[in-house]
Amino acid sequence: MSKNEKVDVVIVGSGAASSVYAALLAEAGKSVVMLEKGTARKLDDLYSSQTWARRLKWATPHMMEESKDSIWYNFNAGHGYGGAAIHHYAVWPRYHPEDMKELSLYGKGLDWPFEYDVLRPYYDQIQSDVGMSGDAEKEIWRPAGDPYPLPPVLQSNHGTVLAKGFAALDQPTSPIPMAILSQPYKGRDACIWDGWCDAGCPTGALANPLVVFIPRALKAGAMMKPDCHVTRVMTDTKGERATGVEYFDSKGERHEQHADVVVLCAFTIENPRILLNSATDKHAKGLANSSGTVGKYIMSHPAVTAFGMFDEDMQNYIGATGGQLLTQHRFPKEEGAFGSQQWEIALALKPNDLLGIAMSRADLFGNDLHRFMKEGSRGMSSMVAVIEDLPQAENRIELSDKKDKYGMPLALAKHSWHDETRKLFHETAKEGLEIIKAAGAKEAWHSPPGGQHIMGGTIMGHDPTNSVTNENAQCHDVPNLVMGGGGVFPTSSCVNSTYTIHAMAMKSAHHLTENWATIVK
Amino acid sequence: MALSRREFVKKGSLSLSFALAGSNILLSPAEAYAKEVPFTVLNAGEVLTLESVCEILLSGATESGVAHFVDHQLGVDPNDSLLVLKYFSFPPPYTDFYRPVLAALKELSQTMFSKNIQSLNEQQGREFIEAIRDKNPPDWKAPPAPLAYLALRNDTVDVVYGTPEGFKKLGVPYMEHILPPEGWS
Ligand SMILES: Cc1cc2nc3c(=O)[nH]c(=O)nc-3n(C[C@H](O)[C@H](O)[C@H](O)COP(=O)(O)OP(=O)(O)OC[C@H]3O[C@@H](n4cnc5c(N)ncnc54)[C@H](O)[C@@H]3O)c2cc1C
Ligand code: SF4
Repeated sequence: MSKNEKVDVVIVGSGAASSVYAALLAEAGKSVVMLEKGTARKLDDLYSSQTWARRLKWATPHMMEESKDSIWYNFNAGHGYGGAAIHHYAVWPRYHPEDMKELSLYGKGLDWPFEYDVLRPYYDQIQSDVGMSGDAEKEIWRPAGDPYPLPPVLQSNHGTVLAKGFAALDQPTSPIPMAILSQPYKGRDACIWDGWCDAGCPTGALANPLVVFIPRALKAGAMMKPDCHVTRVMTDTKGERATGVEYFDSKGERHEQHADVVVLCAFTIENPRILLNSATDKHAKGLANSSGTVGKYIMSHPAVTAFGMFDEDMQNYIGATGGQLLTQHRFPKEEGAFGSQQWEIALALKPNDLLGIAMSRADLFGNDLHRFMKEGSRGMSSMVAVIEDLPQAENRIELSDKKDKYGMPLALAKHSWHDETRKLFHETAKEGLEIIKAAGAKEAWHSPPGGQHIMGGTIMGHDPTNSVTNENAQCHDVPNLVMGGGGVFPTSSCVNSTYTIHAMAMKSAHHLTENWATIVK
Repeated sequence: MALSRREFVKKGSLSLSFALAGSNILLSPAEAYAKEVPFTVLNAGEVLTLESVCEILLSGATESGVAHFVDHQLGVDPNDSLLVLKYFSFPPPYTDFYRPVLAALKELSQTMFSKNIQSLNEQQGREFIEAIRDKNPPDWKAPPAPLAYLALRNDTVDVVYGTPEGFKKLGVPYMEHILPPEGWS
């Protein structure tokens, strides 16, 4: 067993949330170490190939699943420096005010412990730090916020044709808000619209953690270590304060990293897994779990992709992977089945992999598949709907009786959609086909359900009897233990989570630095 | 940390490091097939089954080196593996998937047509694939047949269309930032 020198802050993970905490805390003069379970990685390891992109995914299992509706863990999780965010598509809309007051307004879901206005300045600061592209005025549904620092992302024929379909059904569209540079920004080059975002953008045009916040953290003196598999948060004898974390290196050797503050940013599944595995006689149900809420309210956005085949050259091979246009026309939650919904329109396409042209018609093989590939490589269109997943306590992460090689129980996920969500999914899939046909497609079809952006499991709230953390993501039971990532969100909205993960991490990091003396006392 | 475009290394696309004549050299799966690079994990019978099934799934699979691709991936640390199976939550080692699947496919062809897969005519090939695509055929003793269909179909599409040569066949530009570098194994 080795003990490292004590630091002010140990952060578990090196992805989206960790990178923001690490930068802001190190810049505030704290000694910071990030422990990452996966491999070390640099931007020039990100090869332009959908096949090679799979190196960014875990193979060793961390989670078993007994779900009616899968949360799609393997698709959503990533490993190594940058986490899943290293190859995320950077579609960054904001949560809406009503997402944060769902219980009060509609008697459904949960309330956040603060309102939108509290998060707004952090959204504004983050978009300026990373350089977001978009058109705030055209996003007529957008909550209050500063205009984007950069003009919109590229629109090819793909976007233009699909927009006609939306217009025919009286649905306005806007440029999609993205953490991708449409112009050079703060020393970084602009995007060149080659559609390799899913393989990881190595140019710095897309604000993955290795581009903005990790370089800032390292510059301010933070350390980042790979191959550190964190298994437990350690506590003092009274069980009131976190004292650090236990981890194993790739050779299986056990280490301890002591710190004044522990920040868990190991993604939505692994955070509750670590807490539940940190049970002691003072915390018999798992750490920070006096409420019994750790692991509960897991959410994963149901997603459906609608495809069309057109006779013209759609220019579907250029643009960013995440799309060109957005509509949140069907955001209002009470129009039909309960919940919000958005379409991300005109995703850049590649031939292979899960979201590639070939998989859109998984039934085809032989000459039919050859023909389809030829036609689809210029004629196919793609747009994906993201649907709100209502929080339900019975959707949860528990510990499995199976263990990994360090003796740590695997997570076990149990998740099914709410009936309203199922209805909304079917309404949305049908709507997708109508839009594609209205755009002039000779054929329209849609994918089976997928799952995107896993959230919940360590939700925040005012009441320590039914939530895990307070409004600053500090655990109610252990205030120097802080949670990062979408795990703290009490509701899922229908919007992609990473912008809000950044804003929330910034809010929490500011709170930590401003109240450091009280928190570490 | 950002890189300018001209700093990027440009090398062969789906190149993998194969041991040939005592040293590791970089070849695409198609080149490995053409040079008859020895297989390291799969045996000759498994290679034949794999190539025959993939050829029905998409003609050109064999020449594109699908068997060398799969064989190579089965020999690396699963976290570095490029197999699509990673997405489908099948726990490694992946030989526990491919071996029983290939054996079951070989047996299925005998049960259905009293023939080896490579001898099936076009109509029989179609019926054979349809028998595994949506459900397990009777007496199937391997991981789920539809998963086998999806995995082998994806492996095939990866080598036939997921490379710069594949993009060229489809008439779309590859536009790479960085192609996989030499020396990786
Ligand atoms: C293909 C894809 C496309 C996406 N597109 C979008 C998009 O367009 N917009 C959007 O908003 N979101 C998108 N996302 C989601 C986005 O990537 C996640 O929301 C975000 O990365 C979550 O941030 P995080 O910090 O919680 O987790 P991550 O970024 O995944 O970081 C967690 C890190 O913790 C490490 N870790 C896990 N367990 C341990 C442990 N025990 N010890 C040490 N380290 C550990 C992991 O290896 C990982 O590196 C996409 C995701 C994927 C996979
Ligand atoms: S499309 Fe833009 S953001 Fe995506 S990989 Fe290419 S340069 Fe990077």
